[in-house]
Amino acid sequence: MAASPQTSRPAPVTSPEADVTSAAGAHLVRKKRLFWPFLLPAIGLYVLFMVVPTVATVVLGFTSWQGAGDTPEFNGVGNFTELFASDAFLYSFLNTLLYIFVAGVGTFLLAFLFTMVLREMRGGKLVRAILFFPNIVAPVALGMFFSIIMIYRPNRQGLVNYLLESIGVDAVKFLAPENVTWVVIGCLIWASAGFYITILMAAVDRIPPYLYEDADIAGATPWQKFRNVTLPLTWDVIGVAGVLWTIGAIKIFELVFVLAGPGTYSPPIESWTLGLYVFDRSFGTAGSPEYGMACAAAVMMIALVSVLVVALRRLMRRETIQF
Amino acid sequence: MAAAAVLTLAGCGGGSDAGGGGGEAPLTLPGVDDYLNAPCPEVGTKPATDKEFTYWSMWTEDEPQGKVLSKAIRCFQDKTGVKVNVQWLGRKLLTQNVAPSLNTDTVPDLFDQDISQVRAAVVAAGGTQSVEDVLDYKVGEGDKTVRDVVPASFYDMPQAKQDDGALFSVPYEILGNAWWYNKDLFPDLKPPQTMDDLFALFDKAKADGMAAIAQDGDINFYNAYFFTQIAARYVGPGGLSEAAQDKTGQAWKTEPGFAKAAALVERMGDGGYFIDGWDASKFPQVQQRWADGEAAFLFVGSWGPSETREYLNKQGGDKGISYGSFQFPTPSDAPHKIVEQLPIGFSVTKKAAHPEAAKAFIAYVLNKDILSGIPAVADNLTPRPDLAVPDSLKDVKAALEDDSAERAIFMDGLDGLAAGKWVDNVFYPLNNDLLKGNISAQQFIDGLAAKQAEFWKAAG
Repeated sequence: MAASPQTSRPAPVTSPEADVTSAAGAHLVRKKRLFWPFLLPAIGLYVLFMVVPTVATVVLGFTSWQGAGDTPEFNGVGNFTELFASDAFLYSFLNTLLYIFVAGVGTFLLAFLFTMVLREMRGGKLVRAILFFPNIVAPVALGMFFSIIMIYRPNRQGLVNYLLESIGVDAVKFLAPENVTWVVIGCLIWASAGFYITILMAAVDRIPPYLYEDADIAGATPWQKFRNVTLPLTWDVIGVAGVLWTIGAIKIFELVFVLAGPGTYSPPIESWTLGLYVFDRSFGTAGSPEYGMACAAAVMMIALVSVLVVALRRLMRRETIQF
Repeated sequence: MAAAAVLTLAGCGGGSDAGGGGGEAPLTLPGVDDYLNAPCPEVGTKPATDKEFTYWSMWTEDEPQGKVLSKAIRCFQDKTGVKVNVQWLGRKLLTQNVAPSLNTDTVPDLFDQDISQVRAAVVAAGGTQSVEDVLDYKVGEGDKTVRDVVPASFYDMPQAKQDDGALFSVPYEILGNAWWYNKDLFPDLKPPQTMDDLFALFDKAKADGMAAIAQDGDINFYNAYFFTQIAARYVGPGGLSEAAQDKTGQAWKTEPGFAKAAALVERMGDGGYFIDGWDASKFPQVQQRWADGEAAFLFVGSWGPSETREYLNKQGGDKGISYGSFQFPTPSDAPHKIVEQLPIGFSVTKKAAHPEAAKAFIAYVLNKDILSGIPAVADNLTPRPDLAVPDSLKDVKAALEDDSAERAIFMDGLDGLAAGKWVDNVFYPLNNDLLKGNISAQQFIDGLAAKQAEFWKAAG
């Protein structure tokens, strides 16, 4: 307590203000002294487990390497020229973009729709919790589940085709290679919307209710309320959610692996994603692992995610609205 | 879902039933307990110095082949005192375990897989040593050696040899493949002698209101069998593999046999013979539809009966299938009579610390009383002609032992070419399109030539 000594002492050496600053100064000094001891372990771990592997991945991307024990051999941009000449990689790259953009737009549209509805809905909290459920399930299990309900088998259809047939619609070959990418997009939207609804709703909950009441009095439609109240006031959260989505979508792997293929072997290259490509070069080859190629593809993933995230941040940059 | 996952894992490459049950028409396989409880045979050639060796297995301990090899290990330890350090790693051991270990000093002494996979993953990296000497090891039946009990046709082939010409694999299980059908549904069926006979069978099935061919279209290499089987009859063993390595891709065009084979596959695709939904399925759904009698024929490996029997068993029915099979006929203008096989065998690593014990064990597994477990317990074929086989595999065994046919290995080994990248990038996409009738035979051949030239150019 800085104040007590002054009252007991008739002639204070320092003024109360000065005493307070010196105490704060001492605190600051102590804080400074503890700065590095607290930070170093975190930095150390981060460098060891994030920075070093990332740098190593980039370096190994320019080598031919079969894994532990083998000496990486520098081969210039050889891996990258092989990547861009390979159909498998081009399909992987395009499909990944497709998942990021098409599934991303779908997921966010669905999430926005729910934020419009859920705010005013009775039992909205319960619905929110239920919508989050698909996130708890492992994507592999989701993939197996979808592949079972989407089976096309005349006379003994999977659930979806059974329902379609029962309302007089022709069954669809969902798992045919030309359709499966769209099926995966649908599954992704279904599975991830709940997560983004949760994030966006948390932001919406922070908006003062009187703004909506005001809008109600002015006779605003739900769309106008969304457009003029919700959207501007959750803009920065949407930006962060967009970044999260991009990072998550670039890694899509399990759902495609089990939905598009037999599950034991890699699916046809037409359905590959970058994640699958990296996996296939590391563990799916019939010969020696090609970690150099896998690293080169991983570098492309890093590059893609960096470009997209920077672009997204720029696109979403607005002045934050205080409320 | 769990059942589906298990079935998927059973996969192929030596897939088999879950043991216990299985068998001919009444769904039971006699002799499993008899085999497992039988006394251990003597070891023919005992290791002189090694006291232990390490074996990395392609099987899991509780599957039928795992049970057979577990007995072999137990008996070998009892009879020789040599300790066997076994790790049951499953089918992917070569790429996930053996190949990554090659650059280290922790290599297994002994491992197993089919020769195509061993060749692509381990031999190509120089990781194996010659097992030629095992041929002269005694199997524990008097003076009989491995060479005496296993016909050379099961191991003496270029695909089972290292670059220096030495053998790298000694087979103990042989996979064959065939067109399977249910004899109860086709009691009078005669194996087709010409391709027209085969198409007549398909047409008849269709006329009877049944789909002709069941095909799990999501497995790329199942789809590849048709073209590679027929093409091998035009160009002979090794011909496909040679064409695939032509850097210009023109080999597909200059050899007219390929176009002829493609035309026959086109005829299969265009004929509407494949069961509805085959191209939008999930393995093993379509072979199960075959087992349920929805289609007449199924072309898969010799694991077909054990996998479908397992399915029927789980369905809880009391009636099995009376399995019959026949080989692809030789097209009338094709010069080669072919039978395809894929030996699964033991290999010894180059850096093995205990090669002698590992090799003694290989010979021991080929002992009649040990190896009989492969047909008796695991419902599969062995390279020993003197072992009895289940009725379902008799036709395949006869085909494999037919001296008038030339031997080729599955897909002519194309699946291991360029570590599997060639089939993924060049062959499978075009072949799937051909089978689905999306492209013509001519487009298929032109596509192969063009894509292959691109592929090898990019590979440098």
